[in-house]
Amino acid sequence: MLRIDDLHVSYGGTRAVAGVSLNVDQGQTVLLIGANGAGKSSLINAVIGLVKMRHGKIIFDGRDIGNLSSDARARLGIGYSPEGRRVFASMSVKDNVLAGAVTLNGRQQAQSWDRLVASFPFLAERQAQAAGELSGGQQQLVAIARAMSGGPKLLLLDEPFLGLAPVWIQQISIAVRQMQNDGITVLMTEQMARPALKLAHSGHIMRSGLIRRSGSVHEIKGAALAEEYL
Amino acid sequence: MESFIATGLIGISLGTQYTLLALGFTLIFGILGVVNFAHGGFYVMGGYVAYYCNVILGLPYPVAVLMAMLSMAALGWLFEAFILERVIEDHQATLMVTMGFYLVMATAILMIFGAESPQFPFPVTGVWRLGGIYFPYANMIVLGACLAAIVFVYWLVYRTNIGRGMRAMSEDLPVASALGMRTKALFPFAFALATGLAGGTGALVTPILALAPHVGDSVLAFSFLTVILGGLGSVTGATCAAFIVGLIEAYAAVYLGGSKGALTLFALVLIILVVRPQGLLGREVRRS
Repeated sequence: MLRIDDLHVSYGGTRAVAGVSLNVDQGQTVLLIGANGAGKSSLINAVIGLVKMRHGKIIFDGRDIGNLSSDARARLGIGYSPEGRRVFASMSVKDNVLAGAVTLNGRQQAQSWDRLVASFPFLAERQAQAAGELSGGQQQLVAIARAMSGGPKLLLLDEPFLGLAPVWIQQISIAVRQMQNDGITVLMTEQMARPALKLAHSGHIMRSGLIRRSGSVHEIKGAALAEEYL
Repeated sequence: MESFIATGLIGISLGTQYTLLALGFTLIFGILGVVNFAHGGFYVMGGYVAYYCNVILGLPYPVAVLMAMLSMAALGWLFEAFILERVIEDHQATLMVTMGFYLVMATAILMIFGAESPQFPFPVTGVWRLGGIYFPYANMIVLGACLAAIVFVYWLVYRTNIGRGMRAMSEDLPVASALGMRTKALFPFAFALATGLAGGTGALVTPILALAPHVGDSVLAFSFLTVILGGLGSVTGATCAAFIVGLIEAYAAVYLGGSKGALTLFALVLIILVVRPQGLLGREVRRS
């Protein structure tokens, strides 16, 4: 589904990602673990096209997307939930969610909304409220629903647990499981190894822009939990 | 009392005109992050296009207004897509380019039509009377047309997919594009919408106010003032501020005398901005 070959990303003279290769297979959930500044978000942003890669290849669904604009990548079927949520603060919850469904017509948007509301009833309860007035956990759910509303094949979740209370980490985990059951492929980053490892099939530990260890969740668990306290 | 009501009607008509100009101005700022110094130019040129179609070519006035809107929307689209888009990342360059384009437009008008104000009378004459209240039919038609245009803009911005995309882009451009909104298409569209509105306003308003090559200066000043007062980038703020500005201008002109009107307005805006620097409904900060 997604193949990244020898990806390099730099900001000015600083190398954020220094040659990363990885695969995300259809239906799998792959986790990138690492401390702040390890290059996880840069990698995600390079996949959706918000930062330019300096070198490397990004193949999505058999197609080289490295030179496409970010909106073209999104339209190919990549959903994106950014680090720090970044909901459209003054827009209503419903407008936020449907902002992710630009490729759908009105009827399809209504169906997509109904489906998301069935999974997350809170969206309907708060649909007219400005997203900026919600709590952090609620905003995270809105950001994920927004990434889901266009019916993506691949979902990029950047630090979905960042700054959330345990009860919301649980809620978000339930949401991610639901997507997995729907057969959606997920690439997620997280600093908090413990709850994230419960969701993933395999993972990579990143440090200083490089992948240090890869393997199934079982194989990397010990190293990942050690990394969390670095 | 009658003159108070009649002045209020004039203030409301001015408010609708300023709303149309300010909505375009604030859309361009909110979505593109550009302060469009050419905004007054599109207003004047819209007036001249309508004048040319109506008076010189003899087309019906509504057709002339439509031509002004469409031609200014097309010009705005071309200007954004082929000139402004090249420097869109550089704030200073966008100021220079829009200001330069205004000078080009004003000079072009001067060369084609000359410096004299042309005779461009409103096709409908007569005055509506109720007791002691007088309101010219021309102003009434302009008021109605402007209100219809405002309703159209609100419908577009708050009820359609394009509008949702435009609002999302004005809040967080990178995230909006990462969700699939096409900035390459929506930037020129938003710009054309704004300049089309400015051109249409010019076509409607210049016959009852004044048509001359330089009237764009004050239009820019009033649009800018309105948008700053309402809060840069805020649609509702711009609308409220436009009616405040229109009413103050009308009442001050009648009860305090012509030049004191502008003075009162600027003094009041100054006070409001000292108390609320972000404008009436503006956001605290805006990322660059």
